[in-house]
Amino acid sequence: MARRSVLQSVQRAMRIAAALLSSQYAYMLEYRAEIALWALSGVLPLIMLAVWQGSDGAAAAGLTPQGLGRYFLAAFVVRQFSVVWLIHVFEEDALQGKLSPQLLQPLQPLWRYLAAHVAEQATRVPFVALMLAGVVVLQPEWLWLPSPGQLLLGIVAIQAAFVMRFLLQTLVAMLCFWSERAAALDRLLLIPYLFLSGLVAPLESFPPAVRRLAECTPFPAMVSFPAKLLAGESVDVGAGFLNIALWCAVLFPLSRLLWRAGVRRYSAMGA
Amino acid sequence: MAHRVRRYWRSLLSFWATSMEAELEYQLNLLIELVAVLGNLAGSLFVLVLLAGPRGELGGWSWNSALVVLGIYTLLDGFTSCVLQPNLSKIVSHVQNGTLDFVLLKPIDSQFWLSTRSFSPWGLPGVVAGIALIGWALAHSEEALSLGGMALALALLTAGGLILYSLWFLLAGLSIWFVKVWNATEVLRYTLVAGRYPISAYPPALRVLFTLVLPVAFLTTVPAEALLGRASAAWALGSLTAASISLVATRLFWQFALRHYTSASS
Amino acid sequence: MSEAIVLAEGLSKSFRVADKQPGLAGTVRHALRRRYRDVEAVRELSFAIQPGEVVGFLGPNGAGKTTTLKMLSGLIHPSGGRVQVAGCQPQRRQERFLQQITLVMGNRQQLIWDLPPLDSLRVNAAVYGIDAIEAKRRITELADMLELGEELHRPVRKLSLGQRMKAELLAALLHQPAVLFLDEPTLGLDVNAQARVRDFLADYNRRTGATVLLTSHYMGDITALCERVLLIHQGRLFHDGSLDALTSRLAPCREVRLELRQVHAREAFERFGTVEAHQGHQVRLLIPRDQLTQQVGLLLSRFEVVDLEVSDPPIEELIGGLFRQQG
Repeated sequence: MARRSVLQSVQRAMRIAAALLSSQYAYMLEYRAEIALWALSGVLPLIMLAVWQGSDGAAAAGLTPQGLGRYFLAAFVVRQFSVVWLIHVFEEDALQGKLSPQLLQPLQPLWRYLAAHVAEQATRVPFVALMLAGVVVLQPEWLWLPSPGQLLLGIVAIQAAFVMRFLLQTLVAMLCFWSERAAALDRLLLIPYLFLSGLVAPLESFPPAVRRLAECTPFPAMVSFPAKLLAGESVDVGAGFLNIALWCAVLFPLSRLLWRAGVRRYSAMGA
Repeated sequence: MAHRVRRYWRSLLSFWATSMEAELEYQLNLLIELVAVLGNLAGSLFVLVLLAGPRGELGGWSWNSALVVLGIYTLLDGFTSCVLQPNLSKIVSHVQNGTLDFVLLKPIDSQFWLSTRSFSPWGLPGVVAGIALIGWALAHSEEALSLGGMALALALLTAGGLILYSLWFLLAGLSIWFVKVWNATEVLRYTLVAGRYPISAYPPALRVLFTLVLPVAFLTTVPAEALLGRASAAWALGSLTAASISLVATRLFWQFALRHYTSASS
Repeated sequence: MSEAIVLAEGLSKSFRVADKQPGLAGTVRHALRRRYRDVEAVRELSFAIQPGEVVGFLGPNGAGKTTTLKMLSGLIHPSGGRVQVAGCQPQRRQERFLQQITLVMGNRQQLIWDLPPLDSLRVNAAVYGIDAIEAKRRITELADMLELGEELHRPVRKLSLGQRMKAELLAALLHQPAVLFLDEPTLGLDVNAQARVRDFLADYNRRTGATVLLTSHYMGDITALCERVLLIHQGRLFHDGSLDALTSRLAPCREVRLELRQVHAREAFERFGTVEAHQGHQVRLLIPRDQLTQQVGLLLSRFEVVDLEVSDPPIEELIGGLFRQQG
């Protein structure tokens, strides 16, 4: 086979990406009722917002109602567009042998799952917009419009957080090749995500020691960082993105390693 | 009649025995469930500490009283994992695979079968943790509960459990019509987390919502008040009424759903 | 005449199906103005089945066989007509009705997937109110008839399709029902497994006198088991009687092949029946059934016959031809 030029490789990649995304989007549209419900189940930050408003803890941490409103609404949006469900579909596919036909094609199967996630995010947009509109109608003082720069940075940060979460869950998903219950491990990872990422409590309210501990983990980068960017709070943009990049730099080669080992085992077992 | 009761009782025992047998093949699960429950509890306590601030109060509830609410929530969550989720989330797969026909042809009430067929032991750590938390908090509270008060508290807890069952059943039963919204019960589970905190911690508009639309108040706050010895007659009555109405509603709903499934009305 | 155990009078079922075009535009249009059409699955079926009979419902896919069976077992309410099974109205699903019937479906199972069949049997024993000792006795007896042994102790997911179906039958018959509804019971089974299931059903019917209603699109099931066949085509009852009567009705003639010592003219054979083929020493004739013996006798006496073969056109072909004609 002749060696492809870089241009050809890029063109091929774009073609595949376009095909994958459009087919996955059509697929997701068929399931829009289910996706609407998934969007609805992301209501936790809004509930937490209601609890934090008027609580003593908020006042003690110096959090204003206005600030809380913006932060949690931003966190709500961040979570909607960075949710990763790879482990569930991957486990099912691996156990039922549906991976085999995918492995025979000249495309890394994980790209398919990534495309599915992106398509699902696109399908969610109208439902998230509806929910936001609903909240804003009830509490108009929480409405704010981020500046274009903030919006752009926020979107980039959300996608960066999404990629990092995807890589992290890929690691766990690779364990499916060795155990039938890898999804349960992901459940365990959800606990620090819930409590350390800033999803249920802003990091400002943490005692300083706990906050420093949290910031050593990848979790605050998943919610707190993008949410603060969107909400217009002051945050060290450069450091935040660098943090995400470092975590990805660690997770990516690890997941590639595990993938290779896992596929070897999968084919050895006569899938 | 007695023969019938015995048959239903024997069936229930065999349901749960076979169900546990299938689950207990995976012992690693127990460890994971235990860690998950404890982790969740630790996290929730942490958040409660943050919310309660320097005075240790949330929505006018003392720290200790708020723990009772959290304990009841954990208990109900464990109950959901033991009974509600394993059973009711199967309704949609019965409809999809056509195995609902087998259920309908057994000489046992189909709602009973669908609601009690499985029992997952993985919810038990949650149940135990919830009871432990309630016990600990009550031991540290000043009010002592009379026997009558204890009876009322148990009744209200049961009422809360029945309301929770009804909510789950009504949503899961919708899959007779709409298979595509099978995850409606997941939405329910995620919205019910509001029950972690006492109702008074929420703004007034949401309090109305959590009483009339999504009766979270009756699930955790009302039984907690009873356990703390400050049950109000109005709320207690409301809870018991709501429980009775919702049970009847599930019955009527299921008969309506079956009529549709067997196309009786067409 | 004894009371019929299954009685259907003018049984009909039509389904209301939404008429929706595919695609996004279709969905929107359907949401704005719903259009329905009525699909008649079963039209005016009438039949009576006596206790102990083994009856086959025959017909192509989509003929209405499974719908009929579901109406007889009470899973679907009929749109018209009435039905009575074991003295009860099936759709009411009364307890005493449910204790007397059983349904086995070839493409679905009621056994618990991850556990050995014995556990599902334990549940069924509890549900049907059979006490443990009696249940054990029945299981042993049925396992013997079905040739099941250690399979009962292995998880269902580890059994072959044939073993699974046998275990399904065991679970379905534990409560000794008077009426068995079997929907495609040998679906997907290999030839040996099919034969075993058929032998078992015939044996069971002989021993217990249970009434068996069976749907299948495998002719082998029908010919092996059913003295009586109800042929359903496009929802209507085309034939109710024995399989031979059906063959006669569909093919009033039989095929006779002769090999002769000497060549004779075609005209010589035309008085015996329709000449299908005439080639030298080989002659093929179509002779009406009622004249068969007489004409064959005459042929044998008139000509020097080296070889004679009398055959039926295969029943599958006849039925297939019928459906192709009318469909």
